[in-house]
Amino acid sequence: MTATLTQTDAVVSVGGLTKRFGSFTAVDDVSFSVQPNTINGLLGRNGAGKTTIMQILTGQDFPTAGDVRVFGEAPAENPRVLSNISFIKESQRYPDDFQPRHVFESAPWFFENWDGDLAARLVEDFRLPVKRRIKKLSRGQLSAVGVIVGLAARAPLTFFDEPYLGLDAVARQLFYDRLLEDYAEHPRTVILSTHLIDEVANLLEHVIVLDKGRIIIDEDAERLRGSATTVVGTRSAVDAFAEGREVIARESVGGLASVTVTGLDDASRRQAAQTGLELSTVSLQQLIVRKTNAPDTEFENPS
Amino acid sequence: MKRIWNVARLQVVNRWTILWIPLMILGFIWLVNVALWWILSSSLATEDFADASSGMQWSGASFYIFVYMLVIAAQAMTMTFPYALGLSVTRREYYLGSLIAFVLLALTYGLLMTGLSFLERATNGWGFGGTMFSAVYFGQGPFLERLFVFAVAFLFFFIVGTFGGTIYMRWRTNGMLTAGAALIIVALAAVAVITLSESWPRVGEWFVASGPTGVVAWMLVPTALFSLAGYAALSRATPKS
Repeated sequence: MTATLTQTDAVVSVGGLTKRFGSFTAVDDVSFSVQPNTINGLLGRNGAGKTTIMQILTGQDFPTAGDVRVFGEAPAENPRVLSNISFIKESQRYPDDFQPRHVFESAPWFFENWDGDLAARLVEDFRLPVKRRIKKLSRGQLSAVGVIVGLAARAPLTFFDEPYLGLDAVARQLFYDRLLEDYAEHPRTVILSTHLIDEVANLLEHVIVLDKGRIIIDEDAERLRGSATTVVGTRSAVDAFAEGREVIARESVGGLASVTVTGLDDASRRQAAQTGLELSTVSLQQLIVRKTNAPDTEFENPS
Repeated sequence: MKRIWNVARLQVVNRWTILWIPLMILGFIWLVNVALWWILSSSLATEDFADASSGMQWSGASFYIFVYMLVIAAQAMTMTFPYALGLSVTRREYYLGSLIAFVLLALTYGLLMTGLSFLERATNGWGFGGTMFSAVYFGQGPFLERLFVFAVAFLFFFIVGTFGGTIYMRWRTNGMLTAGAALIIVALAAVAVITLSESWPRVGEWFVASGPTGVVAWMLVPTALFSLAGYAALSRATPKS
């Protein structure tokens, strides 16, 4: 599950990264790598360490220990590397009395690939009032500013830190659509942190899941989705089927039960079908929730 | 270099904050002062008014705009810096670009104040014998001298504001309290030394002898020191929100 540091063609290479704030360890011996021109999800519960890692990758914060390489070099205070990165974080602050138009005026100075037409179109799509003070914008409008900068900058490495906060469902869909559209025409590496896993599940090519500062999943999205299956049927049949398999979750209501098991091969599937059990795919969100909560969510009906 | 210059542009991108508002407030202060001078000149006898007029050389009315620049610089570190980091600017680029902006702003505002101070004397105190821009602190010397005094004074306030801002960004409230306490202790020590050696008259003489130009030239020393210290503080500062 962990990637090696020696992949020299990786856009991001992290080895043994640790970040401590006083006595609190926010990031604990994390190692992973990100391949160029892929859309990656950085997932995890609140406080898992996602924003901290992104801040270290973009040179905004400094590691306590470990090796971080972006485009082959350490990112901190490195203009060569940083000029190819865009990172508008979820808690991004803007200068006092700034309006979105000041942001869209100044951001192009720092991003070579900035596309003004795209920015203008996005402003219209998101219905963003550019002459209103940022202090007075709603949470969704504030997110829209960050999303527009992230998309229009066309930086070779683009981070989106919970970009959807406050955005209504229409705006979110707009973001996903525009991201995919632009990504198809101008490929780049995207790292996206989100809680709304199922909404972006179709976008993600690679998934990294953090929990309490450690990586618990670092996997290709397709393989991850295919790695578990939910088996539903009568309790006895389900229990018999689950015998000897790795069970991630178990639920039961009355005489019916469902288990989520890993690694079903074709023979097992046939066996399940023969014993009258139904198989269904596990959504990415369910899988991650299950894996993150593993010890806590074994709901068992004692009857 | 281009990125450093763009940081300088970033400091002035919002015209209202950096230009219109300080000018408007300065204009308002000037109007209030003119009104006061008019009230005085209308109600006092001529010699009394001449007396009052000469007292106005101590006017601190224009002090406001220097404090405004201090606040601008502090905000540049506490609010614009996190934004610039979000635009992937390095701390070095940001600090140097900001310094460039502050030097140019100090020159610009210095020119403005110098111009106003000449206008003030030319109109004989705006027609009321008032003083605001040609007070003792700024002197009434030749053009370059006045410009030097104003520009360096502005720069001093910019740098002090920057320094305060960087202390806050690096060490937050605890850092501010510690820095404030340290400053007070240094000031106390200076007061103690001067008082116990009965040197206050000499201090006074030094100010008078140096004149505004001399005092301000010496201010370049703390300005340089604070700007170095500010860079050291910012170099490991993070935008923890």
